[in-house]
Amino acid sequence: MNIKIAVIQFPAANCDLDAIHVLNNVINVQADLVWHNHFKESNYDAVVLPGGFSFGDYLRAGIIAAHSPAIDEAKIMLKDGRPVIGICNGFQILTEAQFLPGALLRNESLKFSCKWVNLKVENNKTACTNKMNVGDVLAFPIAHGEGRYYTDNLKELEDNNQIVFRYSTENGQLTQESNPNGSLDNIAGICNSEFVNCIGLMPHPERASEAILSPKGTDHGKLFFESIVEFIKRRVS
Amino acid sequence: MTKVKLEEGDIDVDLEESEINWIKETLCRDPSITEIGMFDVMHSEHCSYKSSRPKLKLFEDAEKNYDYVLAGPGEDAGVIDIGDGYCLAFRIESHNHPSAIEPYHGAATGIGGIIRDVLCMGVRPIALLDPLRFGRLKGNPHSQWLFKYVVKGIADYGNCTGISTIGGEVEFDDSFESNCLVNVACIGLGTIEDFEHAPSKAYNPGDFVILMGGSTGRDGIHGVTFASRTLTEMSEADRPAVQIGDPFTKKMIIEATLEAVKTGHVRGLKDLGGGGLSCALSELTGDGGTGGDIDFSKIFTREPGMNSFEVMLSESQERMAFIVRPKGLEEVLEVFRKFEVPHAVIGRTDDSQVLKVRNGENLVVNLPAIALSDAPTVARPEKRPDYLDDLLAQKTPKPSLSLEEITYKLIASENICSKEWIYRQYDHEVGVRSVVKCGEGDSGVLRIIGTNKFIAASVGVNSKHCFLDPYEGAKGGLVEVCGNVIANGAKPLAMVNCCNFGNPEVPESFWYFSKAVEGMNDFCRSLKLPIVGGNVSFYNEDEVNKTAIKATPMIMIVGIIEGEKNIITLPFKDMGNDIFLIGETKAELGGSEYHSVIHNIEGGVPPTVDEEKIKAIWVFLFELYNRNLVKANHDVNKGGVIITIAEMCFKNKLGANLDFTNCYDKKLRDDEFLFSETVGRFVIETSPKDRNLILDLAIQFKIDLKKIGMLISRSEITISGIKSKQFKLDLLKMKRLYDSTIPNLMEI
Repeated sequence: MNIKIAVIQFPAANCDLDAIHVLNNVINVQADLVWHNHFKESNYDAVVLPGGFSFGDYLRAGIIAAHSPAIDEAKIMLKDGRPVIGICNGFQILTEAQFLPGALLRNESLKFSCKWVNLKVENNKTACTNKMNVGDVLAFPIAHGEGRYYTDNLKELEDNNQIVFRYSTENGQLTQESNPNGSLDNIAGICNSEFVNCIGLMPHPERASEAILSPKGTDHGKLFFESIVEFIKRRVS
Repeated sequence: MTKVKLEEGDIDVDLEESEINWIKETLCRDPSITEIGMFDVMHSEHCSYKSSRPKLKLFEDAEKNYDYVLAGPGEDAGVIDIGDGYCLAFRIESHNHPSAIEPYHGAATGIGGIIRDVLCMGVRPIALLDPLRFGRLKGNPHSQWLFKYVVKGIADYGNCTGISTIGGEVEFDDSFESNCLVNVACIGLGTIEDFEHAPSKAYNPGDFVILMGGSTGRDGIHGVTFASRTLTEMSEADRPAVQIGDPFTKKMIIEATLEAVKTGHVRGLKDLGGGGLSCALSELTGDGGTGGDIDFSKIFTREPGMNSFEVMLSESQERMAFIVRPKGLEEVLEVFRKFEVPHAVIGRTDDSQVLKVRNGENLVVNLPAIALSDAPTVARPEKRPDYLDDLLAQKTPKPSLSLEEITYKLIASENICSKEWIYRQYDHEVGVRSVVKCGEGDSGVLRIIGTNKFIAASVGVNSKHCFLDPYEGAKGGLVEVCGNVIANGAKPLAMVNCCNFGNPEVPESFWYFSKAVEGMNDFCRSLKLPIVGGNVSFYNEDEVNKTAIKATPMIMIVGIIEGEKNIITLPFKDMGNDIFLIGETKAELGGSEYHSVIHNIEGGVPPTVDEEKIKAIWVFLFELYNRNLVKANHDVNKGGVIITIAEMCFKNKLGANLDFTNCYDKKLRDDEFLFSETVGRFVIETSPKDRNLILDLAIQFKIDLKKIGMLISRSEITISGIKSKQFKLDLLKMKRLYDSTIPNLMEI
């Protein structure tokens, strides 16, 4: 089948071209860069909301983009089970649009932080983790100022198995030191409960998909994107 | 300040009497208020280089003498051809004065300005590097405030625009307390076709002139004349001269500009920086040999009621001027509409060679374009400062501390310790190009996607060395910064510089500038390194205390690595491997960290440069690289050889047994050898099986190379073979000290 993925270009998205590069050249799937006002869901099997500073993070990170027409289109995909993926600023947009519960607050350090972290896979049934095992530890970088995940309803998240990634040590231990931003319960990424097709995470899989870019020579980000492709194939068949 | 009497009223300008007379003679009439304002800006030191130009003529013509140089000095950025159809554009400039007054917006708009300079060469800005200077942090809340907000300003602006900050350099020294330095460098990558589609001159009459981006406001009026004066107590009142940056708009301008250039209809492109519209329009038409007819009413302003003086002189950020051929106008405007960036067609070029600005029926500006962009130069007297003889004669006192205690103090010093606190705040990964990241190498290394080529870039210079000897110090800076890219396996291809000095009207300050330029010129000619751009920032002088900053001819080098396997990194790799020191060590402790941290003196004999020896070492290193003999490389820098080795041990938690028997001139004292900052040296890691080959090659290439030790698994460095008894350093303790200095000072 001919899979097509849209990467939405919001004004001042800045990881849009990086996501396009990885999807096109590393995963070898067709991905189009689509200007936010031009996006039509019917043309695509999945949509990626990339990282960056959509609308300059003015007012609050992600909130203006959450009112873009692209989000109305994405909502149709959310409802019918096609993958809707938010990376970094994309995650912030997904919480602001209430596709996902909770909020991303200012880092505990009050500073932007760019570094490689370890992520423990907590749920391998989702649209972007189905090629992973629960307990796998992945090396991804983060780069954000507002990535401290918070929700009033942690229990519900846990009960519904909505926690996808947690910050951990290299050995998968959930420690305070391995939590780079003060996120509640070390949460780095979550999904929706209904179709597990909507995933938001702060770390950047597109920066971790080629060994040459990783300080450890890993390419764990590939599993993330290959899972999306696999999810689309399973969904269609 | 000079008062000029004009028909419309009186105005204060920074021009001198002789310059005003030159303007009147050139025009054969009195200028209008707007015109005199434009001259004031365009003939300011910042825009016209009137003091520095005569000296900068020393540099060879890079465009003429190097076939891979596509654009040299005088353009907004230097551009070099790197093969495979790609080119790199890069430039470094200063934003010192605004940052000293308002560190956050001063630094942010510095980033904004340098991005525009690279963007207007038609290529995508992909990397930023920021060399900084502040007063010492310890016990100095003012320096801490400047440092904190300069870093935040760079981070917020650079991160939002999606341009990764891949490197930088910082020194803390009392001379920068009231005049901090914020130098900003940007690298752009594009195809040669992109570059050719964005000339920086309007060479065709009848084309449309489009102003795109932010609106023109009252902020930043006279920013360049402000930057062409020394800071005084009154400077706080100059805050309105600092512009406010908007990285969101900048990001939209980047995307809209690149897409507009791709249409092929753009025939001229210039950013609006210092001097605003006056500068951009006069340079576009002046350099292109055309003229322009501008309708003042079409220029969109931020507030109503702005007069032509304010509009022509405003330095509001985030603006670009496009020259577009008539048949492509609609297509270019369509691009701007898509990105929702404000824009207006403000006039057309013509063949009059005169820049005209109309306000209804009134001609408010009517100037020969060339008169604005061709300011006369000023000959400045220079004089070597009297205090230098005493400083250079200073002897290194006998240390009262042990060598071990000294090393621990050095590794924790502000100028040597880890700079992680800074680079964690910069997004240095965006763009998926960063291969050697901040803290992992002497330079930042980026891949060029779709090729097997890598860009290595580094910035720096040692201000303390330059203070004692600007000629040798500038050369030493080149040795060090070239050494940084070479340590990562790159061949240095071109240099740009940013000259930060005191008041050029003071002969001693101008002497520093003059000697630094001579040093750069001699070195670059000798090593065949083209100088493709530069920026001069004078007046970094505190008028209250009459003290100038330490001379800082900041250097940026860009190099290329062919092939992934040829990338060399800094950390030691494997236990049991050999450690070699390349290059002779001399008793050169003048301006060293050892002198400043341990003895609290600034003088002594600073490092000197022997170009022939440097050249030989570089050739030798590339011979080793070609034979795949080097596992790790780091140039020897501040603090000397032990500090270098400790930095190489940290990442992979290795240690080193060092034995310096027969490794150095026994006339040197232990402290003179261990803490010397002689430039051009490298520490490399190699395999023991290649030892004899490497030693043979060193003889063949006539290189001073000594095996100084081997790598061990314990986290310690043992040092023997010196005059004092052997001693041991705990690397875990060194790492703790190295990592904690800046956080301890900044995180209170």
